Amino acid sequence: MGEVWRVAISDSFDKFLGKVITFLPNLLAMITILIIGFLIAWIVKKLIFRFLKAIQFDKVSERWGLVEVLSKGGLTYSPASLLSRFFYWVIVLITLIMGINALDVPATQNFIAQFFNYLPHLFAAILILIVGYLIAIFLGQAALIAAVNAQMESARLLGRSVRWFIIILSLTMALYHLGIAEKVIIAAFTIIFGGIVLALSIAFGWGGRELAKDFLERLYRKKEKGERDQDHISHI
Amino acid sequence: MEKSFKIQSEGIKEVDILVGIPSYNNSRTIGHVVRAVMAGLAKYFPKAKTVLVNSDGGSTDGTRDEVKKVGIEDFKMILTSHPGHPIHKIVTPYHGIPGKGSAFRTIFEAAKLLNVKACAVVDSDLRSITPEWMELLLRPIYEEGFDYVAPLYGRHKFDGTITNSIVYPITRALYGKRIRQPIGGDFGFSGKLATFYLTKDVWETDVARFGIDIWMTTLAIAEGYKVCQSYLGAKIHDAKDPGEDLGPMFTQVVSSVFSLMGNYQHLWKEVRESQTVSTFGFHYEVGLEPVSVNVERMIRNFRLGVKDLMEIWRKALPSETALWLESIGRLSDESFSFPQDLWARIIYDFASAYHKGSVHREHLLKSMIPLYLGRVASFVMENQESTAGEVEAKIESLCRVFEEMKPYLIERWEQEK
Repeated sequence: MGEVWRVAISDSFDKFLGKVITFLPNLLAMITILIIGFLIAWIVKKLIFRFLKAIQFDKVSERWGLVEVLSKGGLTYSPASLLSRFFYWVIVLITLIMGINALDVPATQNFIAQFFNYLPHLFAAILILIVGYLIAIFLGQAALIAAVNAQMESARLLGRSVRWFIIILSLTMALYHLGIAEKVIIAAFTIIFGGIVLALSIAFGWGGRELAKDFLERLYRKKEKGERDQDHISHI
Repeated sequence: MEKSFKIQSEGIKEVDILVGIPSYNNSRTIGHVVRAVMAGLAKYFPKAKTVLVNSDGGSTDGTRDEVKKVGIEDFKMILTSHPGHPIHKIVTPYHGIPGKGSAFRTIFEAAKLLNVKACAVVDSDLRSITPEWMELLLRPIYEEGFDYVAPLYGRHKFDGTITNSIVYPITRALYGKRIRQPIGGDFGFSGKLATFYLTKDVWETDVARFGIDIWMTTLAIAEGYKVCQSYLGAKIHDAKDPGEDLGPMFTQVVSSVFSLMGNYQHLWKEVRESQTVSTFGFHYEVGLEPVSVNVERMIRNFRLGVKDLMEIWRKALPSETALWLESIGRLSDESFSFPQDLWARIIYDFASAYHKGSVHREHLLKSMIPLYLGRVASFVMENQESTAGEVEAKIESLCRVFEEMKPYLIERWEQEK
């Protein structure tokens, strides 16, 4: 009886020891990955920050209106600092996932595979949003200035319309890229913009025929008057 | 250098004088300009070897044929003696981005290739050019040892508003030379200076377009070349809508002025006062046709700018200047006034903002147009009844304001954001 007990305890201890011996290298690998990962993240953060400072990223961001947006959103970091921190946390996140993966626990394997498959989509979506926003600010401002110089009373409305159109477009593209309710987004986008165009067509073509006629007549008269009122000075 | 130029210049070894005419669809006027140039060369430089280069931007209206048509026989009646050498004519397309500056580059290359002593360039849409212009633009170079001749014209009191309100006052305040028409368009320069211009890599910038005139003048002054000016008489262009080109013209000229300020900051920060330059030619009053100016439209444009562009302006202007502009925007048409010192302050603020790059540069320059129109409207209203002499005195007073406010420019320029 005593022998049976001894064997049972010894077997279970051996099994436990075997598991610990199998798990220990994985644990050590995880700790090593985490230490190296955090170190790399810190170095990358510093390098990116210095590079962005060297290319005067903060100045360019200010020119493009990004600083204004950040300060409106309550963020006190400079764009260079923010971007370098972003890369730091991305590397930290990847490191953590790689560390968990190193433990070789079957339950986490599937989740990690999915995460890595999704990561490029996430980056692409973030990039689309950032670039889309910058383009929206730039073109919105360009449209506003051009409209003021063309003496359009509704210049501000035009500038804002251009800006919001591009923001909505980039948001739609980002969500589509993330695979979130793709069909709903495409349908909503098509319905909204199709609806706007249709509404304008009906308003001008049918409901507002007289209004459209008056508008065009006034526009033509204004143009003729403009030609008569033209300056004859040479600016240069 | 264009292949067509090389073919046409074969056999022409050394040339004393070269006259360049940039053109683009100027068939209505270029014949007259070429005749005046050839008559001037034959009459005033009969012993010199001369060449006329038409640098064309791809005209489709027969401009090049008009140039080729003109012959020396056309104006024999005004010549006292037969020229010792034939006047060569070269018609060549220019390369590079479309614009006046690219056309000039081809002329500089021709001057270098032909090793010329003196060059002149004249606009192809001039109606008032006479053979005497050749003597006035070329003799100071050819015989007096000058390197650069700027033009002086008799112009309508409201003509040349970019020159009068921005380019002349700021160039004078910055570089200390009183060159009255720094962007006149008709210049004389030495072969040495033409070769120097070619050493600069600016042919992909606004210098290749309307920025060429101020670039040439500024480089001539800043690099220590001997500069002077010649009184040419009236300047009358072919009729066209001046508002058509205002946007690109304004931004290209002003961006060139501001860029050059960055290049020569070590120089202009040391300049304390301005000096007159040698002036050639006989000054006389010219009769000029009245011009119409739509002041109400300019004021409307200014007010629209105050309403919609203030957010952009505030990035370049201190808050007290922005408030001042808002108060001007509230004035009625009758009492509208844009003071000289406010204008000088704004130009200096925008130059500093351009230098720092805190606002997208093209947007910054385009957003200045309503401010410029506001200042022009105020100037026209103030001088409605003034004589040409009184208007000139007002421009002189604006220049003094620019000079007095130069410490403000230096302070703003050096201010960290």
